[in-house]
Amino acid sequence: MTITTENIQRTMAVQARGLRKTYGKGETEVTALKGVDLDFPAGQFTAIMGPSGSGKSTLMHCLAGLDSVTGGTIHLGDTELTSLNDKALTQLRRDRIGFVFQAFNLVPTLTAEANITLPVALAGGTVDKEWFTFITKTLGLVDRLAHKPHELSGGQQQRVAVARALLTRPDVIFGDEPTGNLDSRSGAEVLGMLRRSSREMGQSIIMVTHDPVAASYADRVVLMNDGALVGTLDNPTAESVLASLASLGA
Amino acid sequence: MLQVALSQLKTHSRRFIAITLAVLLAVAFLSATLMVNASTGASLKASIGQAYAKADLVASSSYDDPLTTAHAASVAASPLVAESYAQQSTYLQAGLGSTTLGATLRNMPADPSLEPVALISGAWPGNDQEVAVDAITADRKKLSVGSKVTFTGEPTATAAIPTLTATVSGITAASADPVSSGMAQFVGTEAAVGKLSSPDAGFSTISVLLKDGVSLADAKAALATAVGQPVEKILTADEKTTQMVSSLTGGQDQLTIVLLAFAGVALLVAALVVSNTFSVLVAQRTRELALLRCVGASRNQVRNSVIVEALIVGFVASVLGVLAATGTMALVLTLLSQNPDFAFATLAVPPSAIIASMVVGTLLTVLASLVPARAATAVAPLAALRPAEDASVHNAGGRLRLSIGVLLLLAGGAGLVYGGISANLLIALPAGAASFVGFLMAATLFVPKLVSLAGTLARPAGVPGKMAAANAVRNPRRTTATASALLIGVTLVTMMMTGAATARSAFDTELDGSYPVDLQVSSLPGDTRIPDSAVAKAAALPGVKHIARLELVGTMEAGGQALDVYGISDADALTVLANPANRPGPTSAVIPKSIKVDSGSVVAGTLSTNVTATPATTDGYSALVSLDTFAPLPAADPLYKETGAPLWISVDESLDANALLDLRTALTGALNVSEYRVDGAVLEKVMFNKVIDMLLLVVTGLLAVAVFIALIGVANTLSLSVLERTRENSLLRALGLTRGQLRGMLALEAVLIAGVAAIIGSVLGAVYGWAGAQSALGSFADVTAVIPWGQILAVVVVAAVAGLLASVVPAHRAAKLSPVAGLAMD
Repeated sequence: MTITTENIQRTMAVQARGLRKTYGKGETEVTALKGVDLDFPAGQFTAIMGPSGSGKSTLMHCLAGLDSVTGGTIHLGDTELTSLNDKALTQLRRDRIGFVFQAFNLVPTLTAEANITLPVALAGGTVDKEWFTFITKTLGLVDRLAHKPHELSGGQQQRVAVARALLTRPDVIFGDEPTGNLDSRSGAEVLGMLRRSSREMGQSIIMVTHDPVAASYADRVVLMNDGALVGTLDNPTAESVLASLASLGA
Repeated sequence: MLQVALSQLKTHSRRFIAITLAVLLAVAFLSATLMVNASTGASLKASIGQAYAKADLVASSSYDDPLTTAHAASVAASPLVAESYAQQSTYLQAGLGSTTLGATLRNMPADPSLEPVALISGAWPGNDQEVAVDAITADRKKLSVGSKVTFTGEPTATAAIPTLTATVSGITAASADPVSSGMAQFVGTEAAVGKLSSPDAGFSTISVLLKDGVSLADAKAALATAVGQPVEKILTADEKTTQMVSSLTGGQDQLTIVLLAFAGVALLVAALVVSNTFSVLVAQRTRELALLRCVGASRNQVRNSVIVEALIVGFVASVLGVLAATGTMALVLTLLSQNPDFAFATLAVPPSAIIASMVVGTLLTVLASLVPARAATAVAPLAALRPAEDASVHNAGGRLRLSIGVLLLLAGGAGLVYGGISANLLIALPAGAASFVGFLMAATLFVPKLVSLAGTLARPAGVPGKMAAANAVRNPRRTTATASALLIGVTLVTMMMTGAATARSAFDTELDGSYPVDLQVSSLPGDTRIPDSAVAKAAALPGVKHIARLELVGTMEAGGQALDVYGISDADALTVLANPANRPGPTSAVIPKSIKVDSGSVVAGTLSTNVTATPATTDGYSALVSLDTFAPLPAADPLYKETGAPLWISVDESLDANALLDLRTALTGALNVSEYRVDGAVLEKVMFNKVIDMLLLVVTGLLAVAVFIALIGVANTLSLSVLERTRENSLLRALGLTRGQLRGMLALEAVLIAGVAAIIGSVLGAVYGWAGAQSALGSFADVTAVIPWGQILAVVVVAAVAGLLASVVPAHRAAKLSPVAGLAMD
């Protein structure tokens, strides 16, 4: 929490260069990413938007090391991802990346607390108690820690996932439609939390969404269409995002 | 990851019940087998050890080294020995008023401290006119202090048969020694025993009590010198007991090996059930495992979490299995020891029964989980982001396994055919086992295809039928594994049934060739002729078709043997002979099968008649001629008195085993002859069949454990599949499938899998059973395959019905869920 503004401006959390991804072979070949160059500054909350099939989910999967790429490079800080083997990628995900998915974020048999500390437990490390208390207080989960996922509301489940993502102080948190399954009030709560963690804790966040309202919580919106980058919006509002999307003909 | 594994076990404990039960049963079986072995040893030790419990050292006699009076005196004179007891037992007849018993009479030691049994009431014999008797005999024969017993010893070449009348002076506890238990046990003075046994009988053992402070080694050496035996033969009481136990339990190891083989089958089936269950669990957890991989679990961690689950379940199940086995054995032995003859029954729980069973059970569960655990590592992290779908796990080793399986099946099959043709069980057994292993390995090739073929039969049941057929083969590997578990048991059961039926028919054929008639009442030298009125009474018994009396007509010299020649009337021969071809002609004699002569002469008194000779087709013939041409010897003839006249009897073919045994009793009653004089092919068949039936019953019972475990597997797989298809089933319900139809659909699925497994198993079992009987019996009997259709049909029906029952619980759970709740479930 001692990250200064200068630090944030200078470093890039994630950098992609010439990123290409194709599925299938020959006649059935589908190009999902057609050479994407993209920088995600550290400490920034970025939303990736685009219509269905625009390649925004594929982009995120590749950036997070969940999917292999056909060409190009991805840097997470100083680490080049595309050349890493499964073991190294696993460690990278465990120590340096956080995830918040649309649904099924939590291991159903573990309590909220065990879910939050899972990556640390997997690494065989010890939990930073102070940080844990701070996060769970901030996210309003203190009296929900002993509950199993099915005893939590959708919003609470997503907040547990956010807490898990924050606990390891990852280089970047990836969100895949994190509020897609929530009602608007719970969604707003979770998005507010994400924005706070970015602003107050200096957490880099990359979120895929197709909801203009969700995107308006971000510092910057990256627009994609047909596997390519088609524009960016700084300090977006729901209206400006909607207008930009409309201009894509989506 | 331990935390994850533990939370799985805690949250989904119900899903592990079936595996626990399967492993528990198999481990209990194994553990009980080991305990049976140890308990038999311990029980024998407890009973045999009693005889020497009080002695320090024991010298034993053997054929080469008898213990004589001189030896006994020399032992008693040894300065190291405090007390010695030269023991002598003699077998004799004890007359108690009107009845006579087989009994042992043992001399009592000079010093009561070496007496192995305790005195309950009365006094030890004080002179050679007194004896003590064991409590069991006293109770059975109503003996008490003061009763008179007359002993009759073994006849000897030199002297008259020794007898002695003695008074009971005391009652002792019964010796538990299995060698003498069951006999009346008397104890008398040395003088009394000496009167009833031959003077050179010698002693069986000399037990000694040593003086204080004497070293065992010194004492052994001194004793060895005194009795003239090598020092190794002088044993401590413990060593002596152990030696006797091991000489008595030689056959016990065989039984243990056979039982262990059945325990092995149960374990194998349990392993299949475990492996299958874990495969299903892993498939169901795909998203969860992918999520773990996303948040940083390595492949090893994912694999280990599955293995840890297996380790814990396996260990818990093994502990429970050992406990169940101990409890059962304790109960059985407690009940058994209520019987005075088995009072020495002792439960022994050897460390091997506990440790080996727990290690085997735990290891088996872990090993069975390895393949599913490897499948778990194949789950890609990205799978967490995709909507749930059927996870089909492909195994790179599958092709290799199939090839090895097919190879084993073909090679083993060829070996089995060769073993059958050459009647060599040593070739057929391993070849058959190899081919079965091969079949199981290659089962994915046939089983799903056969299930889907059988599924076409379910078509007429409409949508539920079609869905059931499709669901049954949706996951071919799972279907195969479930079916295989059941198939193993069914194959072995059918194999035993077919083998038994085939062996039975082979024995029947053999026995038919051993006796000329169904039943015969043999005659012995010195027998009196059975009166005609008794024969008439016997002929009237229900079940008797005909009785023919054979009359002695003379003797005949054939092939260097003097044969008694019997005559039978033509009419009798026609109705009573099992094979009418063996009828004698007017001038011919039927002679034993083994004698190869063409002619001979029948001598009766001074009369000699030449006849042609025909060998009989079956055993059991002396020489037989027709009474229509030969006259019976007159009653005054000396030959006649010596042999009496046998009866030949034919009986109704419809009589079953019990009716035949009843008939035998009725015949002995009507004819006033002892039971052993009535024998014949039908009775021997009854005996053989009884043995075969008993063996079959025992084997089927032992295999039933494996079949039961397999059925647990069927129920478990189905209920896990149902869980997996909750959404889909709810959708069907929402679209209009009724509860009944849903239940029917799941029941059909279970019946399809169980039924096909049972049918494949019976076909395999029939082939193996026939091949086994052929290779085991082919060298001495004509073996024709006999398929016990009724029994096999029963097995298939039982398996199918059990499959149906196995679907009840899962189907009930699926049908209970409202469509809305099911669709909302994630």
